[in-house]
Amino acid sequence: MSYVIRRILQALVTLFVAVTIAFVLGRMSGKPAALILTEGATAQQIDELNGKLGFNDPILGQYGRYLAGLLHGDFGVSYRNPGQSAIGIILERLPATTTLALLSFAIGLVLAVVAAVLVHITGSHTLRALFVWSGALRSSVPDFFFGVLLVLIFAVGLGWLPSLGYTGLPSFVLPVATIATAQFVLYVRLLDSALSEQTTAEYVRTAYARGKSHAAVVATEMLPNAFLPILTVAGLNLAGLLGGTIIVEQVFSWPGMGVALINAVSQRDFAVVQAGLLVVVLIFVVVNVVVDLLYSLIDPRVKLA
Amino acid sequence: MTDTVAMAQVGTAAPRRRRLSARQGRWLSTCGGLIVVLVILAIIAVHLWPGFDAFTQDLAHARLGPFVDPKHPLGTDVVGRDLLSRVAAGGQTTLLITAAIVLVNFVVGTVLGLLAGFFGGWADNVIALVTDVSLALPAVLLLIALSAIFGPSALLMILVLGFTHWMSFARLARATALSLRSRDFVMAPRMLGASSARIIRTHILPHVLPQMFIVAVTSIGSVILLQAGLDYLGLGIQPPDPTWGGLVLEGQKYMRLSPWQVILPGLAIFLVVGGTTFFSQRFTAESTQPLRKVR
Repeated sequence: MSYVIRRILQALVTLFVAVTIAFVLGRMSGKPAALILTEGATAQQIDELNGKLGFNDPILGQYGRYLAGLLHGDFGVSYRNPGQSAIGIILERLPATTTLALLSFAIGLVLAVVAAVLVHITGSHTLRALFVWSGALRSSVPDFFFGVLLVLIFAVGLGWLPSLGYTGLPSFVLPVATIATAQFVLYVRLLDSALSEQTTAEYVRTAYARGKSHAAVVATEMLPNAFLPILTVAGLNLAGLLGGTIIVEQVFSWPGMGVALINAVSQRDFAVVQAGLLVVVLIFVVVNVVVDLLYSLIDPRVKLA
Repeated sequence: MTDTVAMAQVGTAAPRRRRLSARQGRWLSTCGGLIVVLVILAIIAVHLWPGFDAFTQDLAHARLGPFVDPKHPLGTDVVGRDLLSRVAAGGQTTLLITAAIVLVNFVVGTVLGLLAGFFGGWADNVIALVTDVSLALPAVLLLIALSAIFGPSALLMILVLGFTHWMSFARLARATALSLRSRDFVMAPRMLGASSARIIRTHILPHVLPQMFIVAVTSIGSVILLQAGLDYLGLGIQPPDPTWGGLVLEGQKYMRLSPWQVILPGLAIFLVVGGTTFFSQRFTAESTQPLRKVR
């Protein structure tokens, strides 16, 4: 139990550091009034608004107010859309990103497990070579170009699927295919080598001796053991995907958080950038804690103490 | 009896991890290296070519396909700029920035790794902490935050990627230094009164450097992918200066009108990343082996 508490405390410290860094970066970005007001504002008006927003106060006071605000879910107001709260702009886009990330992640992982198990059950060198080579090719193509190629072929060329934005279920196909293939390639390689390592293990020999069929040994004995190392990588990847399908979102003009972040950067809207970064860090930290705890739950050899 | 049957089953049904034969592997690796060298030579050649011009627009000759007009061997984009020149100019920028990033990673990682491994103790602990923090910082997010403050630039990208991707260098340098520091050839000069700096420089570094070059070569592909992705997002070099990632972004807008504009820079990235990946395969098998015996 103490491991759980320690891990959660560690996560809280990480969050606190991230929050502080975000504050420092925010102050480095300068006072926002010049961005909020229209072009013709006088220096006095700008200074007044900065004062009203609290940007002329002592820095420690600002930091305290910022922390208190965060605890109440107040991330400040967007500099560019003064009516909207910064966190609102991000949260409104979050579901599109999480759906895309979870769907692609699940499809990539499940297909990789099926493929790797199939290679080991059939013992086919051709099948493995196929996965190895297609994997090497896919990982040499950047995600954004792979996405563009898919659009060129399936949307522009064949006209089967929509190319941009979100217009219902078919819009999921191309972005999901872009991310899922990248994930698939990674997990197939890891699982294949993890499964290969198991083949000479004693417990595998024992299982054969008990008369289990080869397929059963691979699926029920080797796979659970081979899966453990994948879990760590998969957890990190899932966290990364939830926070950052940015490039793929940009390719398909997906109405997600990544596109909102990039737009905020190009508009110098640091309040929104800050809120977005903090949401991403929060997701990242939470997923990592969950994976670590899950890991010790699944593998009793990892001591909870 | 059951045992032999079972073993036979293991032998035939479960494919052994079959490594490519040494000759096959070397051949693939050479091909990969050759592709990269050819792309680099081509980039240089295009810069020397009299028709080299990546910026002049010529609406009368816009959207030419490849191999149509001898003046524009790979065609032109929607405003009539020569595509061959643009891809070559973008390649120069992309590859130079990649080299700069890998160099920063190389130096930072090697120095920190050597210090951590050679001195151990609190130096090791501090550097481990720095590593943990850097690992926890997603480079893309950091670059997004800093770009929002300072505006995107090449220098910012080099610094952010340079100071966030040195861990693989540091890990290997540390492990090597750690394994060497109590060896006789390191102890002997110490007893003769050599300073730590001298021992690291003349006795440890020569063993570490070759490995660092291997790490550098293996990391090139991923650095190009990452950097091209950031250029694509508009967080790197700003237009009109071409980069491979930026050219894909530009071309994507017009992919219905002139698909070549987006395919050519993408193909260039694919060739170089694929080439370096295959080239470095020759080393990855070696570097994961236990440390070679040092004479």
